[in-house]
Amino acid sequence: MVILILAVAFIAATLYAVLPSPRQISSPSLRQVALTTLQVLDTEKALTETVFKETTDQAWIDLQIALSATLPPNIIYNLTAYDLVQIGNIVTYSKFHTITNSKGGTGTYSEAASYLVTSTNVTFTIAPQKISGTLYILNCSDANGWWITGYTSQSLAADLRNLLSPYFNTTVMVQNTAQLGSLLNGNKISSLPHENVAKAVILNTFGEAVPIPSSYADMYYQDSYARYCYELGKRTNQYNWTWVSIVGYPFYYVSNIVKLSASQNSWGIYGMVDVGPAGLNSFLRGLDVENYPSYSYNGAWITGSPGVVYFSAGASYYSNYYGIYPSPYQTATRTLPSWIQGTYHTTAMASVFNPVSGWYAAATFKHTGTGALTAIGLTRIPDIRVTALALLMYYRPTLYKSKLTLTSGERPTQRLVVLQLSQQGGS
Amino acid sequence: MPGATIDHLVATTVFIVAILAFISLFTQTLQTAILYQQNRHVALKASDLLDNILLSPGYPYNWGVTNATLSCFGLQQPGAAGYVVSSFALMRLTSLSGKPVEYPRGSGKWYNNISLGPGGFLFIPMSESIDYETAARLLGVNGTYGFQLDITPIVKVSISEHQANPLILKVEVSGPGFPLSGAALSYYLYRAYKTGQYPSIELFSGTAQADSAGVAYLNFPLDGVTETYTIVLYARLSGLLGVGHYSHRTFTRGAGVMPFVVDYEHGKVYLAHSWDVHDQGTPVPDYKFNSTFYILTEEFEFQPWPIANSTGMLNYGSKNYEVTTLPVAHPGFLLTTYWVGGEYGMSVMPWGIGTLSVSVMFGDNPAGNVWTATDLRQVSVDMMAYQARIICWSLKGYQVWKPGGW
Repeated sequence: MVILILAVAFIAATLYAVLPSPRQISSPSLRQVALTTLQVLDTEKALTETVFKETTDQAWIDLQIALSATLPPNIIYNLTAYDLVQIGNIVTYSKFHTITNSKGGTGTYSEAASYLVTSTNVTFTIAPQKISGTLYILNCSDANGWWITGYTSQSLAADLRNLLSPYFNTTVMVQNTAQLGSLLNGNKISSLPHENVAKAVILNTFGEAVPIPSSYADMYYQDSYARYCYELGKRTNQYNWTWVSIVGYPFYYVSNIVKLSASQNSWGIYGMVDVGPAGLNSFLRGLDVENYPSYSYNGAWITGSPGVVYFSAGASYYSNYYGIYPSPYQTATRTLPSWIQGTYHTTAMASVFNPVSGWYAAATFKHTGTGALTAIGLTRIPDIRVTALALLMYYRPTLYKSKLTLTSGERPTQRLVVLQLSQQGGS
Repeated sequence: MPGATIDHLVATTVFIVAILAFISLFTQTLQTAILYQQNRHVALKASDLLDNILLSPGYPYNWGVTNATLSCFGLQQPGAAGYVVSSFALMRLTSLSGKPVEYPRGSGKWYNNISLGPGGFLFIPMSESIDYETAARLLGVNGTYGFQLDITPIVKVSISEHQANPLILKVEVSGPGFPLSGAALSYYLYRAYKTGQYPSIELFSGTAQADSAGVAYLNFPLDGVTETYTIVLYARLSGLLGVGHYSHRTFTRGAGVMPFVVDYEHGKVYLAHSWDVHDQGTPVPDYKFNSTFYILTEEFEFQPWPIANSTGMLNYGSKNYEVTTLPVAHPGFLLTTYWVGGEYGMSVMPWGIGTLSVSVMFGDNPAGNVWTATDLRQVSVDMMAYQARIICWSLKGYQVWKPGGW
């Protein structure tokens, strides 16, 4: 009797203790393989383009060849594209096209991954919030740049305009040093209705050099034009500007190819004078004019060279938000020190890179009163995307919700691609 | 009475034997179930490990382009989403496939050797490479699970000489499951020649298309026997991208000029005389060389990038290496051509794993373990299609190791 009970118990236990099949234990995760296969095929948007083509198009044959080549030979696949049709609040899926390497289905056990693709005929419209001030980009034809090797100031100005003008109400190109002089005197230099000198952003595309108007060269020549830099700081404070330096040591040279035609910057570039570190010191004193009401010479070198610097968390976030992707690590050799915050009553804001031992590689130093300096202390050659990111991080204009519109016909705008995989001889 | 006692003894004995027999049977069932569960757990661990490695850039996240000490291990391209792997992080992994190389001989300085086949070199200092023990410790599996990670290109591009003069090269393009029929091909053939003091490079570039068998023939107005050349070829079809390379040289008495990455973080490379690696006997030749770095653009084109000390002469005495610097974090390849006694040689070094579709094998050897789990993902490396495969096994538990190996 006991033997009978034990035998029945054993048979019952054997029948009901269902163990997973060996394939389920050891097979690769087919769902993940399917998903990553779709992602790899869409690396260059080839999958997206194919899915929206007619079923007779050669692209579908190419997709099948690529799919067959990608997956191991023992894998059976079935790729199906579905149209998404929304009527009211109800979304329905209707099969558009299928490609497979099996006529007999995918067996009893398979896994699938889905991938939503959007037609290239669809346009996303993004409306950025406008920054209230005017963007002035120095594009002076009568000045030379320094540390912008491989570019011209004019080409940088054009690129920066393309990058940043959508975020500003008005963008004005400062075409020569005379216009810059007029601007420094507080005058509008265009007929654009919304141009406003106050609260503007002045973007210097000349690298370590800064253009100098002839009239200012006559007045502020003291200490190799360090006095001019003091005046620039004062005007930045007076008009509540944000002065932007795109690379290297700010205000290290001044340039005017007519007025300074006989001078060279000690590296053989004529039309330029070597101000040295005194330029930045003078600017900062001028920016903090309330505490430094008169000019005095200070030729001390104040920037540091921390080497490789890395994106701050804010920069990573805003890089994605604004769709501007400079390299997250850069080499910095002309970074501003943190102590200028106390000495010149500024606050470091919107730092693109994590400060290294008190050195700020790219940040905006906002004066406690008015005016600010955005300094990108990276080594040459300039990456204007860093400048754009630094400015946008400082002003943080909102990107309003994108709008989806069709640009052609009544074709579907989205399709769902499902890739189903199984192994041959499935259990 | 004695009869009843004997009956009782027999019944008890039979009962005990039956109990023991069924305990044995149940134990076998339980043992099988435990092994199944254990193996299932290893399979899940393999999948988790692979995702952890591929979906995290590690920390510091730019460790692939610096000499930074890792505090978290991961291979994802910083800033990228999904299964996109950093080609520079892969370069810092200690290779399981290549035998380490000592340079200079007898110096005690060893280099991680990622093998590329004839004429291809990639030597990274062992001191700047990430070894398996470090990775296992940072992944939290040290002493509990072992793993081996293989990152291999999905698209295999094989190039061989079909005809010597005029030169016709045969190109075969395939994936693991099928030939890549009709793939679009873009090729760059660099031929060595001499006009002045140092050798120069002439470029032949063009496009072609593979046939239904994934095969194409490329014609060049060159003598394949007497000319030294290197060809780099891209194959592309419906989002799949692969690359292959092939070199032919007329100088065969030694490895010639070998590039060694001596300072990874700053891209400092020694162009070394091969005598410092292998003594090929006398006479030891002097090499006049010309080294060019080709950077990979976003349009998948190679553009020359100026580098320091790109030409010079090496001997095995006072001038046995030259120093140059490659741009950090910019993928491309370094092509060095050298001239000696009317013969030419060429060596190529990828800068970033994806540029020349190099495979990487990293981890431990699974030999001796009773059961291993395998999982795979399709990934992108420098836009190239790669397959990442992990083999995982348990180091603790019941019946995990077979003494004496397989």
